[in-house]
Amino acid sequence: MLKKEQNELVTQTGPGTPMGDLFRCSWQPILLSEELPENDCPPVRVKVLSERLVAFRDSEGKLGLIDEFCAHRGVSLWFGRNEECGLRCPYHGWKFDTTGQCVEVPSEPAESGYANKIKLKSYPLIEKGGVLWTYMGAPERQPAEPEWEFCNVPLNQSFTTKRLQENNWLQAMEGGIDSSHVSFLHRGDLNNDPLFKGAAGNKYNLADSKPVFEVVEAPGGLFIGARRNAENGSYYWRITPWVMPSFTMVPPRGDHPIHGHFWVPIDDENCTAWSFDYHPVRPLSDAERNAMKDGKGIHVKYVPGTYRPLANKDNDYLMNREAQKAGRTFSGVEGIGMQDASLQESMGPICDRTKENLVGTDNGIIMARHRLMRAAKALREKGVLPPGLTAEDQKVRSAAVILPPDQHYKDAAREALIAKPGVKQASV
Amino acid sequence: MLLSESARVTTAQESRFRIHYPNSKPRAVKVIALDPASAALIDEVAKLNWNGAAFFKSLSFESTPGQTVKGWLNDIAGHTSDLASEVAQADCVVVIAGAGEDAQSVPLIAELCNEHHKTLVALIVPQDGADDHSVDVSLKALRPYAKMLVIAHGRDYVEAMLAALRA
Repeated sequence: MLKKEQNELVTQTGPGTPMGDLFRCSWQPILLSEELPENDCPPVRVKVLSERLVAFRDSEGKLGLIDEFCAHRGVSLWFGRNEECGLRCPYHGWKFDTTGQCVEVPSEPAESGYANKIKLKSYPLIEKGGVLWTYMGAPERQPAEPEWEFCNVPLNQSFTTKRLQENNWLQAMEGGIDSSHVSFLHRGDLNNDPLFKGAAGNKYNLADSKPVFEVVEAPGGLFIGARRNAENGSYYWRITPWVMPSFTMVPPRGDHPIHGHFWVPIDDENCTAWSFDYHPVRPLSDAERNAMKDGKGIHVKYVPGTYRPLANKDNDYLMNREAQKAGRTFSGVEGIGMQDASLQESMGPICDRTKENLVGTDNGIIMARHRLMRAAKALREKGVLPPGLTAEDQKVRSAAVILPPDQHYKDAAREALIAKPGVKQASV
Repeated sequence: MLLSESARVTTAQESRFRIHYPNSKPRAVKVIALDPASAALIDEVAKLNWNGAAFFKSLSFESTPGQTVKGWLNDIAGHTSDLASEVAQADCVVVIAGAGEDAQSVPLIAELCNEHHKTLVALIVPQDGADDHSVDVSLKALRPYAKMLVIAHGRDYVEAMLAALRA
């Protein structure tokens, strides 16, 4: 459990909040490249960390992320005309470039220099791995570009989606480091989902619903090892990395692509759940890519034309009680991604952690919260930058390995937990 | 269908109608230091306000005539109690070990936890300057017995974890 004030500290990410400051230290994924597919395409509304912004790709391909509202009369620039290297407000024609600089105020003489004195807040927006990333912190502390492996492999080796999740970021992220729920919530999918089934390791998951855990701190966050019994006294380990503040990876299964998530706050009651799959050494097959597009694995089907899941709170997540009773799904909700999201949304927009009753095996979650609070406090009080900003912190992988009982996974699987170009993932 | 009968009830507005009754009773958490360094740590942690957590600074053993081993715990006030009874009354047992320190008592504690169906959580709290080898020694000693094994850097995490468990 957390005290009320602790819960507020870790869940509030708006401007000026300690956790908001922490998020503003690193690059956050906010849009898929497909949302701004070409020069002068329509602008896109973006709400991130409780700030309303608009993104656009100008006539020269430059990316802009600026205050959503025109500096003149407050009109949303989502209605704007993206033309001739700027976004023009349709109300009175004021025009802004990708840095937010006003470049034209039609009612004023151009020679007056009036436009030079108008500038909307803007944030850098970069494109990497089919994803558009922004950094919303102090310019002098802007870190190097993101080095996550999924956005550095060739595009034919990766598949990334995003979906709206209608709850606070932290309860979603905590699901990503809570390995013990897999044996229950997702047990129906381990042998059925095309992106999970067939892995030799699945039998250990299904045979042992009470894994043993080891949690160790890593430079960027944590490693959470879930241990199950394998043959001849050896252990089957599934190792989940968490990098601050909100990057998690799921341990791989067989030769299936590796996957993971980012959980990015939209505001305090909604987040964007980013889901990525990639294979370090080969292109994704057509079958894999089609399965992902069809909402298999950690991906979802959408309400057409949106990033809202087709199964959502307005239709009770298409609950199927017969499938639940028959054991095809444990919760009655189809799909691994929505199985997680439906339960996390059911906690309410901001989980009330004062009511929780955690147990010893929840130490991964306890330590992640502890590190978040500690880092937010150090940043606020001493200006200490949080972990997770360096390439070394970001070049991590999840792993699934079988080890002798006397070996510590962090040492025995040390190499497997580092992302190395051209090296296959360690998987069972 | 009423809003409150569907998943749409998960709005901030509807959250106001969540009931506010206690959903648990206090649980008995027994915290046992396995070595002198951990005992010193426990001395400090125990000064905080807890919901009935019991802290034990040392553990001793005696062999009974039937060759069974009996354990005795000493709490921070110096009182002695029977390890088996304490474990039997516990909801969760937490052992705290310094890196590389003697953890020979863990098998007996774990045996009692198994016998009484209690979860054993082990925290390794490396002392300042402790090397990886020492941590590894402790991991090997505790791994066969702990349901959850954590390397916790500093007293503040011990406090945070016990608070999270409502100890």
